[in-house]
Amino acid sequence: MSARPNTNKAPQRGATRQANQPVNTQKPNQKAKRQPFNLSQHLRQHQAVLMESVVRLMNYPMASFMTLMVIAIALSLPGGLYVMLKNVQSVTDQWEQQSVISLYLFSELEDTQALALSHQISARDDVRSVSYVSKEEGLRYFEQVSGYEQILSSLPENPLPIVLQVIPMETVQLDTLDILESLRIELEEQEQVEYAELDAQWLQRLASFLSFGERFVYALSSLLVIAVLLIVGNTIRMAVESRRDEVLVMKLVGATDAYIRRPFLYMGFWFGVLGGLCACICILAVSFWVSGPAMQLIDLYHSDFQLTSFSASEVVVCLTISAIIGTLGAWIAVNKHISDIELQ
Amino acid sequence: MEIEFQRVGKKYDSGQEALSQVSFHLQQGEMAFLTGHSGAGKSTLLKLMMMIERQSSGNILVDGGDLRNLSKKMVPEHRRRVGVVFQNHQLLFDRSVFHNVALPLQVSGADHAQIGKRVRAALDKVGLLGKEKYNPMALSGGEQQRIGIARAVVNKPQLLLADEPTGNLDPKLSAEIMNLFQEFNHVGVTVLVASHDLALVARMRHRVLTLNQGRMVNDGGFS
Repeated sequence: MSARPNTNKAPQRGATRQANQPVNTQKPNQKAKRQPFNLSQHLRQHQAVLMESVVRLMNYPMASFMTLMVIAIALSLPGGLYVMLKNVQSVTDQWEQQSVISLYLFSELEDTQALALSHQISARDDVRSVSYVSKEEGLRYFEQVSGYEQILSSLPENPLPIVLQVIPMETVQLDTLDILESLRIELEEQEQVEYAELDAQWLQRLASFLSFGERFVYALSSLLVIAVLLIVGNTIRMAVESRRDEVLVMKLVGATDAYIRRPFLYMGFWFGVLGGLCACICILAVSFWVSGPAMQLIDLYHSDFQLTSFSASEVVVCLTISAIIGTLGAWIAVNKHISDIELQ
Repeated sequence: MEIEFQRVGKKYDSGQEALSQVSFHLQQGEMAFLTGHSGAGKSTLLKLMMMIERQSSGNILVDGGDLRNLSKKMVPEHRRRVGVVFQNHQLLFDRSVFHNVALPLQVSGADHAQIGKRVRAALDKVGLLGKEKYNPMALSGGEQQRIGIARAVVNKPQLLLADEPTGNLDPKLSAEIMNLFQEFNHVGVTVLVASHDLALVARMRHRVLTLNQGRMVNDGGFS
């Protein structure tokens, strides 16, 4: 609205103004038009607009198709990565391996004390067994694997500590890593133990790689979601612009902003839903395409692992998210541009 | 609908003063013409009534209530009570005559059966009943103007405004259009028609409001 000067500045007699005052506080008579809220009528209107917005998309088949494809590709990237991550995770979940925690005892410790500790640990509920590796056994093993026989034999005394090899109840898996790690820390806190080592480094590396992958997928998804918002926003902005005359006439005959906004919001909704659907189809198609070679690979490892793709519930989640993104993108664009179009 | 302007002024952001100290009172069910040279402020006055523009000073009372008290949200509801006809029709050429006329009803949420009934009644009044399925582009200028009138009255407004409704039409068609407005006036609608066709206005024998450079210079009977 343009700035308007204060009415009181207009030259006028106080008496006349006062006479008008009581009248001015009234609002124009609204009795004729305040319609009560009618739900079925409201729903019918929404349904009509929902269908009309499909027709609007069909009016520009090529442009709509290309927008849909861009949305589909942008959505299928994070979706595909998610499926990949899910499969890697379930492969590693199935991968069971006996875990070993090696306890390196202080070298001044006597054999009897070490044995006592060994019995004490093997009595624990979370420990399957403990094997005792004496200094001599350790030295023999070390000679075999290192080949430094002569050098070792020239040493005045055996430098190796007594080692207890603890086999926990839990096998090494991604979700048992924390339990095993806390067991390792607990064992290391024993005063006879100098150092405890959990033989699961490869899995720890994989776990951190997976959490890196997860973050990467999240970051990429966020970026692509923003991209879809912008794509839908821009498409809707152009749709509003191309219907400028219609918006003006509707404002003239008393359409509310909500009424004018509605078909464009539904358009964004459809872009979201259909784009999401195309993305799901892409992901399912690609998973099917890769499944042949992937199964061969799995067979080579004699694993009974099953490749998974999008489940029905994941498809529903994907469609819901894409519908929300589409509607939101339209909302942002429409709110800005419909108020820009003003009658003159 | 009853309209009262009290010392209304309108100054645009550009500094141009379109209206100043305009006062008049239009009774419920009255018909009047608004004349003056182009640029005299006729369109601005109609835009203030439609709340397309807001006045800079003075008061505009509609049925006793000040338009200034209407918030932006209530503007659509106000416009539904006012029918408006423009010189340049403002028709949409991507839809049929029927759907052009139906627009005000759709916008106010009328149901399907009612829309059909009232659109046909409005088209019947302006003599276009047989052409509801046509595209407005296929019709003549006079017919297009009548579509505009049908659209303006389909919602049964209490006030009918027209801005140069006969601007592009020949005298015979112009007279027909003016007679249409008179018929609506006869059923109780308040009518205000802006026109610079003085000869035609004089023949209609109604009250004439004359604007000159934004000021009301004559308010009285036909001259």
